Amino acid sequence: MAYYPEPVARLIDALQRLPGIGPKTAQRLTFFLLKRPADEVRELSESLVAVKDKIVYCRTCFNVTDEDPCRLCADPARDARLLCVVEEPNDLLAMERTGEYRGRYHVLLGALSPLDGVGPDDLKVRELLARIEAGAVEEVILATNPNVEGEATALYLAKLLRPLVLRVTRIARGLPVGGDLEYADQVTLSKALEGRREIS
Amino acid sequence: MGLGRSAAVVIGSFPLGESDRVVTFYTRDFGKVRGVAKASRRIRSRFSGALELFTLGELVFFDGGRSELVQVDHFDIVRPFAHLREDLERLGRAAWIVECVSRLTAEHDRHAALYGLLVRSLRALEGPTPPARVAVCFGVRGLDALGHRPRLDACTVCGRAYPFRHAALGAGGLVCEACARSETGLVLISGAAVTAFERLRLARWEEALAAPLGRSEVELGALLDLQMSRLIGQPTRSAKFLRELKRLEPTAGGRP
Ligand SMILES: [Zn+2]
Ligand SMILES: [Zn+2]
Repeated sequence: MAYYPEPVARLIDALQRLPGIGPKTAQRLTFFLLKRPADEVRELSESLVAVKDKIVYCRTCFNVTDEDPCRLCADPARDARLLCVVEEPNDLLAMERTGEYRGRYHVLLGALSPLDGVGPDDLKVRELLARIEAGAVEEVILATNPNVEGEATALYLAKLLRPLVLRVTRIARGLPVGGDLEYADQVTLSKALEGRREIS
Repeated sequence: MGLGRSAAVVIGSFPLGESDRVVTFYTRDFGKVRGVAKASRRIRSRFSGALELFTLGELVFFDGGRSELVQVDHFDIVRPFAHLREDLERLGRAAWIVECVSRLTAEHDRHAALYGLLVRSLRALEGPTPPARVAVCFGVRGLDALGHRPRLDACTVCGRAYPFRHAALGAGGLVCEACARSETGLVLISGAAVTAFERLRLARWEEALAAPLGRSEVELGALLDLQMSRLIGQPTRSAKFLRELKRLEPTAGGRP
């Protein structure tokens, strides 16, 4: 990439590190930005910095938030007896879009993955246990993805939590195996939530 | 170039772009093949659950010849090996096996014996044999199939014939006590483990799965993971996963 001016090469290189963006797309985005008005580009760059400066993980549920504890954890109307465990903040948002769920959340920030060497220590599992030991939770809903990693995570957590909490449930397999929760439509997710069952 | 068709096992995948996935297969007729499965992460994908890890199926792909990645056309499930994903110990052992196959083979390098061993091992993992034993049997024969059988009949440095006391295992095989002083990266190996290794290598598959090994099984498991890690060039990831599972396993009192 020696023939690009240094700032251009730098931006292409930075964009390429984003998921799903290859060298071609990175070049296209860079030249697109070069053509845009300066204040528009400045706004983009400022919002990038703001995300890093102002957004933190909620220390209770590990959702992304601009205040700690997050609005969901601070809301007294949310049912503290119900705890829904998801892999990523995006999955939490997908659950919220159903409008059906009135309990609280715990975001693991990942899923168990033997092939990537991701074990329980790499997830927010200890923090989950601490919340459950604090006492209020009566049901844990395991809403990890219906793929290998998500199922393994659900299996593991079910085994771990069953002695500690009244009910451990797994969202129903209305969702096809192998997908990403993030891409589920609201109807499918509502159905999955309705049909949750005790895990054996 | 053109269409390819083969029995194949899914041995890995990662997301690509918005909704695609790059899937790694170990095929009977082409060795390792990596391909793009378009829109396979969509919840209503035409592949539905077929591309899940360990699934054995009939793969049809298009090789345009311009990129390393082929296009996955069809993958029809022959045997899903779903039980391997319903038990963490089986999952971890099966993952170790596919990790070894995935990281120690080159793309489009046909190896029918290794493919056979892979399928046989996954099948055994669904049966009554303890998962750790299946992994050991795969490891012994896998090293053989990959052309990395350690030398167990003599010291690999001075050539002195085995048996000798305080044998150590290096990348190429046994090292005697005298030579061990000037070598690095060695681990001790017991006489029982050397015997068990040879026995598992030569026995029929069903016999190897059932042979009584006593404590040598755990020792062999660790030694085989070390040999595989040496060949890969870094520690296996699935072994780390298995270790962490064991450590956090709930005890009788319910506390991890
Ligand atoms: Zn929170
Ligand atoms: Zn020697």
